Amino acid sequence: MNPRLLALIPTCVALNVVLGRIVAELALPVFLDTVGTVTATALAGPWAGIVTGLASQGLTALTSGQMMWLAFAPIQIIIALVAGAAAKRGGFATAPLAILWGALCGTLGGLSSSVISYFVFGGVTTTGITALNALFRYLEFGLAAAVTISSVAADVLDKALTFGFTGIVLRALPLRLASRFPVALRATGRE
Amino acid sequence: MSPPAAPAGLAARAHPYTPLVASLAVIALAFILPAPGGPVVLALLLALAVPLSNDTGAFVPAAWLAVPFWVLLFLLHGVLGEGAHVAFGPLSVSASGLTLALTTSARLTAVILASVLLIRGFRPGRFVDAALESGWPWTAAYLTAATLHAIPRFQERAVRVQEAMRSRGLRVRGSLATRALAFIPLALPLMLGALHDVDERAFALATRQVRADGPGRTPLRPPVDTRIDRVVRWGLVLAVAGAALWRSLG
Repeated sequence: MNPRLLALIPTCVALNVVLGRIVAELALPVFLDTVGTVTATALAGPWAGIVTGLASQGLTALTSGQMMWLAFAPIQIIIALVAGAAAKRGGFATAPLAILWGALCGTLGGLSSSVISYFVFGGVTTTGITALNALFRYLEFGLAAAVTISSVAADVLDKALTFGFTGIVLRALPLRLASRFPVALRATGRE
Repeated sequence: MSPPAAPAGLAARAHPYTPLVASLAVIALAFILPAPGGPVVLALLLALAVPLSNDTGAFVPAAWLAVPFWVLLFLLHGVLGEGAHVAFGPLSVSASGLTLALTTSARLTAVILASVLLIRGFRPGRFVDAALESGWPWTAAYLTAATLHAIPRFQERAVRVQEAMRSRGLRVRGSLATRALAFIPLALPLMLGALHDVDERAFALATRQVRADGPGRTPLRPPVDTRIDRVVRWGLVLAVAGAALWRSLG
């Protein structure tokens, strides 16, 4: 692990935590707590994203006193892998492209998290998603269908915004700074 | 929830690995023990253990975290649950849904109590010293320490950015659109500043010849790993292994 990666990963983990708290303070109906994971991946490749994502999940679980969120750690790997594929194909070059990659990531992540949510938490996770579950249950959907629809819907919105915002950050980076990271120029189509 | 300034209770005095292993053992047992009795008894035992751990203050944050789960699970599985419904006070609830809600609530309550006790006694510096003493790779110890120090630094910076933006007229309250539009002016300067910092920090690390395979650090005051700590840890590992074996054979 080179010094640049040693400096990047703790920063991106902290950004995941702090941006998640800004979103919570603004009371927005999304999480945006994986911006650091996607940024680390877009700058330094999937391994940097996986380490950042898993460390963020562990730290969030530890500092919030809710270790059960560790169950969602595999989702961080999915996010890093999709963000890695997006970066490799210039997926952050324009806002619509980044949002589309985010929607793909949200679909895959939402499907995976619905399985975890259903089996580990009985369909109850965050208040917003659980309210959606309750709405679908009230409309006489089965529990599995309700959990899947609400998880995927929430994740598609969240990851589309996450990838879109990361794209804005990456495109705003000065060329001098972006060129120091192996993947960044290709991710934004500036190579 | 942010960790308190002065760590409290037995968890703060034990070797840092002991409360961590205890929390992980509770999480494992909450899902291994047969439902609904096992998780309910585990949650009750933990609640009884809180006063013994000399940290009764843990009840308040644990209740704040656990009560919403009880309410939501009761609503989702009890009131809106499938199967035969029975009278429950003025409500009609699903009998099987109520059992599922009780099981999941008890599991999550046990996990929350264990996590809250752990975090209230957690001291990052002591944990990193213990990790270095027990031979963790230098890279892992550096990443842990650097991250734990970076979070409060970025939180402070986020507050400064927010104050600066609000003084320039940014509105962070109001309709959903107003709040959503406030996100980019708050988050973009923070992100760009952080990525500039990465560049400077990487340069500082490179000039000090820092490498993943470089020489390790020596902890200044490594926590003492007593025989009691080791017995407790191994006891918990054996308890989890025993419960898993009993469930797989049963």
